[in-house]
Amino acid sequence: MKLEGEYTFDGPQAEVWKLIRDPEVLSTALPGTQSLEQVSENEYQGDMNLRIGPVAGVFSGKIIVSDEVPPESCRLTVEGKGKPGFVNGTGDVQLIAQDDGKTLMKYAGEVQIGGRLASVGQRLIDTASKSIISQGLDTLNRALQARVAAQVTGKEVEYTPPSESEFAASVAKDMAAGAFSASRMVWIGIAILIIVLIVVLVFISRGGN
Amino acid sequence: MTKLIGQRIKRNEDPRLLTGQALFVDDVNIPGMLHAAFLRSDYAHAYLRSIEVSAALNRPGVVAVITAQDMGDEWQPGPPLVSPPPTVKGVIFNSRTQVPLARDKVRHVGEPIALVIAENRYIAEDAVEDIDVDLDPIEAVVDLETALDRSAPLVHADLDSNLAAHLVQHRGDYAAARSEADLVIKRKIVIDRGAAAAMENRGIVADWDAKSEHLTVWDTTQAPIPIRNGLAQRLGLSVGQVRVIAPFMGGGFGPKMMMFYPEELLIPWVSMKLGRPVKWIEDRRENFYATTQERVQVHEAEMALNKHGRVLGVSHNFLHDSGAYDPYGLTIPLNTQSHVLGAYDIPNYYSDLKVVFTNKTLTTPIRGAGRPQGIFVVERLLDIAAKELGIDPVEIRMRNFIPPEAFPYEREIIDQAFAPLILDSGNYKPVLEKAAAMIGYERFVRDEGPRLRAEGRHVGIGIVTFIETTGVGPYEGARVTVEASGKIRVATGVGTQGQGHFTSFAQIVAEQLGVGIEDVHLVTGDTSDFHWGTGTFASRGAVVAGNAIYASTQVVREKILKLASKVLEAPEEELEIEAGQVRVADIPSLSISLGELALLANPLRGAVQPGTEPGLEATAYFGPQYGAAAFGVHAMILEVDPETMMVEIKRYVVVEDCGTILNPMILEGQIHGGVAMGIGNAYFEKLIYDENGQLLNASLADYLIPSAGEVPRIEVGHEETRSPLNPLGTKGAGEAGTIPVPALFAQALENALADLDIEILEMPLSPNRLFEILQKKEKEK
Repeated sequence: MKLEGEYTFDGPQAEVWKLIRDPEVLSTALPGTQSLEQVSENEYQGDMNLRIGPVAGVFSGKIIVSDEVPPESCRLTVEGKGKPGFVNGTGDVQLIAQDDGKTLMKYAGEVQIGGRLASVGQRLIDTASKSIISQGLDTLNRALQARVAAQVTGKEVEYTPPSESEFAASVAKDMAAGAFSASRMVWIGIAILIIVLIVVLVFISRGGN
Repeated sequence: MTKLIGQRIKRNEDPRLLTGQALFVDDVNIPGMLHAAFLRSDYAHAYLRSIEVSAALNRPGVVAVITAQDMGDEWQPGPPLVSPPPTVKGVIFNSRTQVPLARDKVRHVGEPIALVIAENRYIAEDAVEDIDVDLDPIEAVVDLETALDRSAPLVHADLDSNLAAHLVQHRGDYAAARSEADLVIKRKIVIDRGAAAAMENRGIVADWDAKSEHLTVWDTTQAPIPIRNGLAQRLGLSVGQVRVIAPFMGGGFGPKMMMFYPEELLIPWVSMKLGRPVKWIEDRRENFYATTQERVQVHEAEMALNKHGRVLGVSHNFLHDSGAYDPYGLTIPLNTQSHVLGAYDIPNYYSDLKVVFTNKTLTTPIRGAGRPQGIFVVERLLDIAAKELGIDPVEIRMRNFIPPEAFPYEREIIDQAFAPLILDSGNYKPVLEKAAAMIGYERFVRDEGPRLRAEGRHVGIGIVTFIETTGVGPYEGARVTVEASGKIRVATGVGTQGQGHFTSFAQIVAEQLGVGIEDVHLVTGDTSDFHWGTGTFASRGAVVAGNAIYASTQVVREKILKLASKVLEAPEEELEIEAGQVRVADIPSLSISLGELALLANPLRGAVQPGTEPGLEATAYFGPQYGAAAFGVHAMILEVDPETMMVEIKRYVVVEDCGTILNPMILEGQIHGGVAMGIGNAYFEKLIYDENGQLLNASLADYLIPSAGEVPRIEVGHEETRSPLNPLGTKGAGEAGTIPVPALFAQALENALADLDIEILEMPLSPNRLFEILQKKEKEK
């Protein structure tokens, strides 16, 4: 299945690139990451908790990063599996500097999902993943703004990332409220989520080196 | 003789069912029983590289973990259930049967890879998750139309292509008929997948008793005797060492036929290996992956007619999806071929069938079994032709019916019984007239329809016809015994899944033997009670087992009268059996009870005469020369809500002719259930697979089955054209309710949305799909 999506960060390209290479910020932006280790120069392994409606469990992921062009783009390949099923995909991530000083993040790729995640979680994937992505990226964007503000004023701006339970509660609230209208292209949501997870995992690891 | 056949009698079995006293497989609990869970493939198509089970084995409470390797030489693909196809010239059939556990490759999501046996199901399920399996995915074959491309991956690598079978059948000369036609209708028709969705999933309990060397198996099967025979063969036992019991069941609908599912072999096998009873109950998600499905076909069909609306010929090339394996042979598509001509006298026919392997769950017959597809094709083409020619849909059907004097009517097409189909009897016109009268067809078309349309409402009427080949052989048998208590015990080999056998069969016996319905105790589906026969499927129970019971009852009646004649010292002709007593007709005080006669027939002292048998008992068999063909008409009025695309069925009428009716109440129950299933097939139930062969709606939250709100009150009318092929004159009715519903829905929807001029050429629909069809139509304008 093909997928694509985009998000605008309120900050310059170089700062966004730096931000998403900061493991501490990233791990708080998408809570649930349990471990991540580098197994070779471009290959990483990690575990992450995931819950989509009735389907929950730990995914063990393998990530390969290639074609990296800082601070603009890279390609990611992921093979993840866990008790709830499997996720395999390839995606390209681009950061594009905008005239107004903002940065546009674009993703495009292809993902396969199987097992219980596909068969039972399907009806919830759309809403849940949209919510997770939106909240994850919003958190990152707030972290970005805190940094940018600090550079301007020379003062640290207070930034408190959400805890795993707060995050989960917000997602649940979105789902209950139907804040994200159902789309017929249900898979796009989860695909974007996965790409974002990959981005996060990769840069946590890189930042840690 | 008190007339019982044909009476509206309440069901004997209901008090037990309604008070929870009936035995279902999951009610079987044996001390020391272990529980099974399966590791199933998450991939539709993948190589099995390695499997690591040590963590599962180390989990406390786990008794065994079985993989294909562990089975050694006992790992064998399942038996082909319906042996190679008919003697049609040039037929190709590649038999590839399901395997007990995947060994080197998985071919559909849900295919079992390993079996865990543990002290309870919780532990077994947890241990399944401990197993580390390395599956190396390859491209899946999903789309029927591209599966035969040269570039398509192969489901079975030892074959040249994904072609499972190729078969051409024809009668007359379609090409010649086409050249003379005034009108040729050509359409592509697509029918997608659905599940049987029985209320009870599959289940099996096996108990090997090493000391008595005896295996007892409780199985949710519609065919306990073939399962017993197959298990004995596969496990190296004599048939006398295996008892298969098919107790009460929450619905069969076809997939519980003699499938030889992997689980059906493995649970008895592992019980023997461990010397312990083992239970496996399928959960709903497993049911969506691992229980067989049906209906997928793609037809390129055409119909040639003259300007009077007489059909000169039908031709179609069609693809049928077998899923990953094809143990059930060609039963479904042969049914399609034998039903594409419907109830009509169509002299020219050409049919090219290709069966295709795909990386999806197997398809085997589900209620209707290929017939709904055939009927959908012919009824749709006829509707489109009627519109083109300006002929009323009812009228065009009348013009093409097989006339009553043409029976027995030779269709010249080989059907599922592997012989050219003959329609034994029928009188179609009165059935259609009755249905049209009941629904008020003329009034609706003339007044009501136009009035509602003028009000801006989308209300439409539909009326379609169908035939159903039923009651096929080879045979069934029954044993009828008068017991010393005066009660009658009847044993037959077929299983029962809610058809009301305990009542309708009792009616046949009670009428002949002059006892009450409640005095007839019926045993079905227990191989230790009766062990010759085939099973309950293909709408054959009432026809084949019913007539076997009738035949054995006749013999018992003769024995009763003969013995009573001796005891009462009166000629047999003067005797009558009434209220459990045999009495002399003119002298009612001169009588003896059936119980006393049964005792006399089994004396403890004295000498039994040579050449006689003890007891008032008889066993008899019945095998019809060929199947009996039922006929029916369904009609409905429905309204479409243009905002939500939901439909409301305002009237639903069924008039059926299934020969002699044993019990109208039970028959109507069968019809009601069938229509509900057909409504699902038409407007709710569709299994959605993605391009990787993943099933996306494997839960009842996402796979919608009709509920009470969607199933209307159904008015049923009857006509009786007795079948000349059996003494009772019965024809089957189990599938009749389901078969024509998609065709009916299509016609009624088109009528309701007449202003939008759409054509429905696919099933199942849904509100969403109907919306898409309307959107597409808008864009074309």
